[in-house]
Amino acid sequence: MRGQLAPYMFLSPTLILVTLFFFIPLVMVFILSFTKLDMTNFGILEWWKPVNWSLDNYVKIFTNRFLSRILGNTIMYVAVTLALFNVGMALVIALITTHIKRRTGFAFRTLWFLPRITPVVVYTMMWRALAGPAPMGLINKYFLVPLGIGGGEYLLHTHPWVFIFLVNGFIGASFGMILFASAIESIPKDYTIASKVDGATTWQTIRYVELPMIKWPLLFVTTYQTLSLLTSFEQIMLLTDGGPGLYQTEVWSLTAYHRALTSYFGNTQWGYGAAWSVVLVIIGIVMAVIYLRVFKFGELVEEPKIDQL
Amino acid sequence: MKRLFLLMLIGCFVVSGGLITLGQDTETVTITVRCRAKPPMEDWRGNNFILAAEGLNADLEAAGDPRRVEVVIIQDNIDWGPYVTEFVLSYGAGEEPDIWLTGHEYIGVQAEAGRIIALDELMKEFPGFNNVIDSLWESTSYKGEIWGVPQDAEARPLYFNKALLGELGWTANEIAALPNNIEKGEFTLNDMLTVAKEAVDEGVVADGNGFWMRPSNGPDFTALYYAFGGETIDVATGKLVFNEVAGLKYYQFFYDAAQIYGSMGGLGLGWGDAWHPGVSGSKVLFWVGGTWQWAEWAELFLKDLGGEAYMWETFGIALIPAAEQGGQPNSLTHPMAYLISSQCEDPDLALALIDKVTDYGPNTRHAIASTHLGILNGQTEYKFYKDSRLLSETLYMLDYTTFLPNNPYWGPYSTITYEALAAVVGDDFTPQEAVEFVVDGLQRELGDDVIIR
Repeated sequence: MRGQLAPYMFLSPTLILVTLFFFIPLVMVFILSFTKLDMTNFGILEWWKPVNWSLDNYVKIFTNRFLSRILGNTIMYVAVTLALFNVGMALVIALITTHIKRRTGFAFRTLWFLPRITPVVVYTMMWRALAGPAPMGLINKYFLVPLGIGGGEYLLHTHPWVFIFLVNGFIGASFGMILFASAIESIPKDYTIASKVDGATTWQTIRYVELPMIKWPLLFVTTYQTLSLLTSFEQIMLLTDGGPGLYQTEVWSLTAYHRALTSYFGNTQWGYGAAWSVVLVIIGIVMAVIYLRVFKFGELVEEPKIDQL
Repeated sequence: MKRLFLLMLIGCFVVSGGLITLGQDTETVTITVRCRAKPPMEDWRGNNFILAAEGLNADLEAAGDPRRVEVVIIQDNIDWGPYVTEFVLSYGAGEEPDIWLTGHEYIGVQAEAGRIIALDELMKEFPGFNNVIDSLWESTSYKGEIWGVPQDAEARPLYFNKALLGELGWTANEIAALPNNIEKGEFTLNDMLTVAKEAVDEGVVADGNGFWMRPSNGPDFTALYYAFGGETIDVATGKLVFNEVAGLKYYQFFYDAAQIYGSMGGLGLGWGDAWHPGVSGSKVLFWVGGTWQWAEWAELFLKDLGGEAYMWETFGIALIPAAEQGGQPNSLTHPMAYLISSQCEDPDLALALIDKVTDYGPNTRHAIASTHLGILNGQTEYKFYKDSRLLSETLYMLDYTTFLPNNPYWGPYSTITYEALAAVVGDDFTPQEAVEFVVDGLQRELGDDVIIR
């Protein structure tokens, strides 16, 4: 009996933590999304009673005049950041740093890790300082104005998306970089040596030997970073807060945050904001399932058909 | 010797007994005061309570009241939205401040939710409150009762850059006459846009910098809606109102400003990194701001150039122009008020502290440091208040002032009307589409709680 209980005892701390801080809040957010709980009726509305539940919040979301813009922004933000940085640049850095001297490669990878280990507020504020209008903004002051490009405008106002991609991408690239680099380094040297002996160029070695062998990390990084980008908003909030125009850089998760937790006059709408985040959870699950199907996840985790040892 | 020793012993007993009794009889009451204040200009909002507590404790001692007050002050410069959320959530947890300083327009929603107390009865014991200017009590009244004590007021004027007008060819006399022409209704909002366009065309300011309003939602926009004849509240029912005709003129103005007259480029900018540097750095010709920003520019942005002296040379102040020739110019006042939590255990002491800070000395300290207008009758005659040039020169604006409505649904109303404004500025909506968006949004969000006229 004791032997049977032991595994559950070891699992219980995680189980309790996941239940308390993930499962229960998830159920609460789901219930909240059907209510009109907001600043005006907090402490008055009995939101837990089904009589106060309705689909009104979801109707409001899907009839919102700016829904297509917010959705379009979200797709663009995730797709561009993912393709150019979180997977694209990560792969390029991993390949370059694994094809040069090991110690130099390690030093470069450490440098690329700086954006991730810098506190997000400090890191984003540094970018704001870079993008500021002349004469305060460093990019304007030292590059654009001396070269006679532009009139020293506030770059977050004129090119907000460029900065959003860069700020997020430079953080995101390091995650894929580490995984790809370690995967490439763990490929047995025999394969690359054999390809060289057969007369393959470096590009051919990468294309036909290394890339197929890091398919699993590629799938993992793409899936994980898609979901991560879908829910991340803190950099955008600190950079543009969805502006400069109306919803110009507002993504789905930022809308959920704005509706639920911010408003100039304090009319935060917790129920409505919860509905936005529930839709995001559903989008995330659908995306994850699609990825797993496209990349044939099942085959990747199967027992190897030939014993490689 | 023996007798002397006995007397000393008795004396010691009496003194220590007295001290013990005193120790047992006094009871320390902690009053938490929460203020939103921009340091260092607005620090007196909270710091005045430190001095007030000393005075109150002396009063309590003299009156034989065993209670003694200890004040805990929490003040910072967080955004209004999180500031209100903090109060509501902390109230739910029983950890809210006893005294909460906030904009008067939050009274409706907090009073409805029972989180603050009506002060009429308690205030009768503090005649000092009779010194507060009568019209300010209207801003803290809701459903016939007073829920807050006004803390400060301000004007939200139109600022103009004299140096840039000079570059445009205006003579010193023409520039000096501008505030007067605006007051008489001779220089209208559209005249202002025409001059703004000229400045853009002649390269005096960059495109978009002819005329700015604040960069994000807030009270100032309502002053322009009023200028076009808009109403926000129905006096008979207390419900919010949106006028379609006035709304169309209001959105047309902002559409034209952004699309034709090279203005409104400040919308969406960050306050500290672009908006304040823009207006204080002479990059903008006309802008609507608040009198309190005068102190911010002098202290934080233009100190090196000479602070206020430089500003008096470079900037001018006028009312917000009328919409039409001969019309009424305006301004908007958004009084701050001290509210008392309904869970406060000693509301009489909290109000006694508020009474102490609602006096000529403490209030003038705050008014001068933060360039807010005073709230007390005759304060302009108070020796130290008179010394501030800005406060003296903008005082007449209170004759033209308007207020935000005190209604629980002002938040959603303001969000919807502002979204439509941002959309016309961004060329996402035509003015007509903006009005349709507002009407549809207000009816959907507020239903019977809003009247569309």
